[in-house]
Amino acid sequence: MSYDEAELISRCQQGDQDALKEIFDRYQIKVYRIAYGVVRHREDALDIVQEVFIKLYRSIRNFKGKSNFYTYLYRMAMNTAIDHTRKREKIPPVSLDGEDAFQPAEDPEKGADRILLKKELEGELKAAMEKLPSDQKAVILLREVEGLSYQEIAEVTECSIGTVMSRLHYARKKLQEYLKDYVKPRD
Amino acid sequence: MNRKILVLLLGLMLFLILPSLAFAQVQVRVRIIEASNAGPSIDPALRDVHDQLGSLFNFSSYRLLRDVNLNLAGNRPVEVPVHAGRSMEVTLVGEYGKMVELRIKITREGLPVLNTQVRLSSGRTILIGGPRHGGGVLIFALSAKF
Amino acid sequence: MKDSCSSVSELLEKYHDQEVTKQERSLVEDHLSECSACRVLATEMKELGSLLKAPVEEAAGKEDFYWVWQKVQREIQERPRLTWWESLRSRLGVSPLFRKKVWVPALTAAMLILSLIVVPALMRENTSPTKLSTVEYVESPDYNVMIYEEEKGNVTVIWLFDGPDQEAPTS
Repeated sequence: MSYDEAELISRCQQGDQDALKEIFDRYQIKVYRIAYGVVRHREDALDIVQEVFIKLYRSIRNFKGKSNFYTYLYRMAMNTAIDHTRKREKIPPVSLDGEDAFQPAEDPEKGADRILLKKELEGELKAAMEKLPSDQKAVILLREVEGLSYQEIAEVTECSIGTVMSRLHYARKKLQEYLKDYVKPRD
Repeated sequence: MNRKILVLLLGLMLFLILPSLAFAQVQVRVRIIEASNAGPSIDPALRDVHDQLGSLFNFSSYRLLRDVNLNLAGNRPVEVPVHAGRSMEVTLVGEYGKMVELRIKITREGLPVLNTQVRLSSGRTILIGGPRHGGGVLIFALSAKF
Repeated sequence: MKDSCSSVSELLEKYHDQEVTKQERSLVEDHLSECSACRVLATEMKELGSLLKAPVEEAAGKEDFYWVWQKVQREIQERPRLTWWESLRSRLGVSPLFRKKVWVPALTAAMLILSLIVVPALMRENTSPTKLSTVEYVESPDYNVMIYEEEKGNVTVIWLFDGPDQEAPTS
């Protein structure tokens, strides 16, 4: 943690909202990526981002600086996103009538096909991710989307590196099976 | 002793800045509406103001594009992005008894469209309209609560 | 080949995740240059990674978090976490000075001054007119402007015209 970040955190712990805004500006995209990676739904992801920073403000006094701040925040983001999916009784399927479907395309026929395929893929991805247990979902997102190392993932998910590797292996195996029609090698 | 004098001075400064601290936190609701004559339709989100809009304007259709609440603090502009390259900036510039003074700037592609300063009592609405948008015009509805 | 495939396949994921040692990397890369089956596995892993990442990056790239921050700010202001004196302390940012024996006299001094000057000001009758709104000024480089005030509806209208041919839309 840089001195600059340590000072920001200290100010935030004392209730300084400008410090929270600074932290928000630095980490909003990272938190959004985790949220979107889990829920694959724009509005839900934005709600989660909002919830995470409110929670952060209310609980930051519990952060003692023993781990990196970003692992603390990532853990909060991941847990909030996963809790969010658990709260929803039924997750609606991706609709082909979403706003993206009405964007004008250069070649109307080709564009429509491309949009449909993209929507189909998003739907399949979302369905595939939903089938993963939450611990596997967490590690695969932290690795593939956020690019965290095994050590960092272990810190965020509070498990050993061996467990991280094992969960990654099973997550990849399942996703490759679910998405085999879309994962096409280009040899 | 020097330390205590410094603290008393700080206390005096505190008194001087207290009014501006107390002066903060006026809530302004901004609704951006597209008004046109493209068929008779009223956005359900605008039901509460439909009669008011109908009594003021001749448009047959009103659609809510954006509805936001701004918490304004003294002299801190807040920007509200609007469709089609437009932007609105609202600043709380003063409090006068039971009225607040707002500066409202509307720009398009960075160029000024409107610059106005108004005083409003709590609950009073100001409608700024006229800029063309699609087949109709934009109406910006601002109301302050404090 | 089968043996080398099985020993490398255990390392393939680590290789993809850039968690291999120099020696392990060398072993994997040598094997991949000779084995198409393992190359396919490696490529599939890469494709899966892209599949997971690309939509997230695309979604994140489109977002403007202005509104999210507005909501966060509103929420934390509506339900403040700190006691008032902690909040005051953080605003002034002079925490070493804010020990009881120091801030109590400071605050007392501030309150005294406040009561001598501000309270009489508050007690003064509000002499400003009871107008509901005033348009202080309006300027528009490209439009003509009309101002209309309706007392009954509690609304003021500022209307911008392109020019003389654009009719006023008012009823």
